[in-house]
Amino acid sequence: MIHRALRHPSFVVGLAITLMVLLIAILAVFWTPHDPTAIRISARLRPPSATNWLGTDQFGRDVFSMLILGARNALLVGIVAVGIGLSIGVALGMVAATGEGSLLDEGIMRVCDFTFAFPAVLTAILILTFLGPGLVNAIIAIGIFNIPVFARIARGAALQVMARDYIRAARAAGRSTPGILARHVLPNITGILIVQASVQFALAILAEAGLSYLGIGTQPPNPSWGRMLNDSQTFLAQAPTLALFPGAAIALAVLGFNMLGDGLRDVLDPKSLER
Amino acid sequence: MIAFLARRLVTLLTTLAVAALVIFGVTEVLPGDPAAVMLGLTATPETVAALRAELGLDAPMLVRFLAWIGGFFTGNLGVSYAYRVPVAGLIAERLQVTAPLALLASLFASSIGITLGALAASRANSAVDSLLMAGAQVGLAIPNFWFGILMVLVFAIGLGWFPAGGFPGWESGLLDGLQALFLPALALALPQAAVLARLTRTAVLEALGEDFVRTARAKGLTAAQTLRRHVLRNAMVPVVTMMALQFSFLVTGTIIIENVFALPGLGRLIFQSVGGHDLVTVKSLVMIYVGCVMVVNAIVDMTYGLIDPRLRFGRGVGR
Repeated sequence: MIHRALRHPSFVVGLAITLMVLLIAILAVFWTPHDPTAIRISARLRPPSATNWLGTDQFGRDVFSMLILGARNALLVGIVAVGIGLSIGVALGMVAATGEGSLLDEGIMRVCDFTFAFPAVLTAILILTFLGPGLVNAIIAIGIFNIPVFARIARGAALQVMARDYIRAARAAGRSTPGILARHVLPNITGILIVQASVQFALAILAEAGLSYLGIGTQPPNPSWGRMLNDSQTFLAQAPTLALFPGAAIALAVLGFNMLGDGLRDVLDPKSLER
Repeated sequence: MIAFLARRLVTLLTTLAVAALVIFGVTEVLPGDPAAVMLGLTATPETVAALRAELGLDAPMLVRFLAWIGGFFTGNLGVSYAYRVPVAGLIAERLQVTAPLALLASLFASSIGITLGALAASRANSAVDSLLMAGAQVGLAIPNFWFGILMVLVFAIGLGWFPAGGFPGWESGLLDGLQALFLPALALALPQAAVLARLTRTAVLEALGEDFVRTARAKGLTAAQTLRRHVLRNAMVPVVTMMALQFSFLVTGTIIIENVFALPGLGRLIFQSVGGHDLVTVKSLVMIYVGCVMVVNAIVDMTYGLIDPRLRFGRGVGR
């Protein structure tokens, strides 16, 4: 499988981009070329140079330093928001699957259908306005919308696995339902969950960028790609590069996770390659 | 058949009712007395009480809920706290921007997406195909608001072909209005076009493998004729479904794009009313957005059930 994966162009490129973003984010924890919050009005709106590789913003802050800290921010959002969706969603989905057709199953799936019908960005805006703007609340708002996605996928996949003979054998051998779920069902649906997690990760980064662009996501002085884009719009004519880099960073990170997801889908499920 | 439609309709109405309850309930429990917000810090308790009575805020909750629901049918949705004008009028006015914007965007998305997708499929596994699909992958990754900003940079600030933002109003001419909506619609259309291009390619490739394609070629049609008359038509079912299902993304996309281009549409209105705690406007707007999405999804499910009877029993399309 690893051999097949390494020959899959989408997987390799996606993995390379994702690893690069991850390394930059880790690097940003320990080192940035300049203090990304240091304001130097005398050096405002400078074009890219040897000291400020990507130039400076309207407060004279170093754009490159803000950009790599933004990577940390984006990954944090992705990890926590997808984590919320995965942990709660998969648990709900597997519980629903074990009681297929029961009132509990119906209840869980109806609530999922209902959440799906609410446009995510709109609801996130509402949640954020009333919980108050900020990174933590943005992550919660994005995470909530990941729950029904994973619940549905986990339920569907778990139902398929539970129809197999080895589940009946395990049951006959006296294993409890939680034991079967943990030992036999979960490992067999991990692949499909990983693929979806990769796609949701990309969507979470896009969502946080959008919310921060609107000014209700990450708050200053914490750098966020979306907020940098919003700031850049005021100085578009004077300093066009300010609008280029944060957007390119978002696009690159999202591209990486999307390609990784596409690649993983092909590698983990070779049947989809035949199309 | 009738039973299927009736069942789907009941589900839709139930979901709409629950949504209305949730939206109403949330705006009820939110902190801040609208009357006090309107009058400001210097208001005396007596004037606040008088305004509460005037706004109908002291009626029982159930009465106010039913009055609000009734308002969607009578057109009386109350008066906006922030703008001091009837909410229904405000929405109708803003819809003149958002509806053409969404329409133009779906037009761009479908024409670009379907054309490029069909082109990629007809040259499957060629350099053109790889290039187009790589482009679609990138189109999916680019945030539409950044694409909007980039287009402003190039076409508004650089070349001066389009305004950088704002809307002159339809009374200053159809052309001026369309010119103001062109870049926002294109920005909104980008991710949708990418999704449609990928889907069209898959659907066309699948249709190309069918027997009727061989028959069409055997009876003397050219490859282009076969593609147009037989393949595309068969490939359109999933594509049209996807367009309808993406309606939700398009609609919410207007919230951010209208902010990028400072367009006085529904999306900007909702953002501003949320920020200004204009709850009367917020709850009706959210209900309209959510209602539109739910109705469109239900219509997709129903038409799909009409086309393919097998789908009348499961959980519906795209689940």
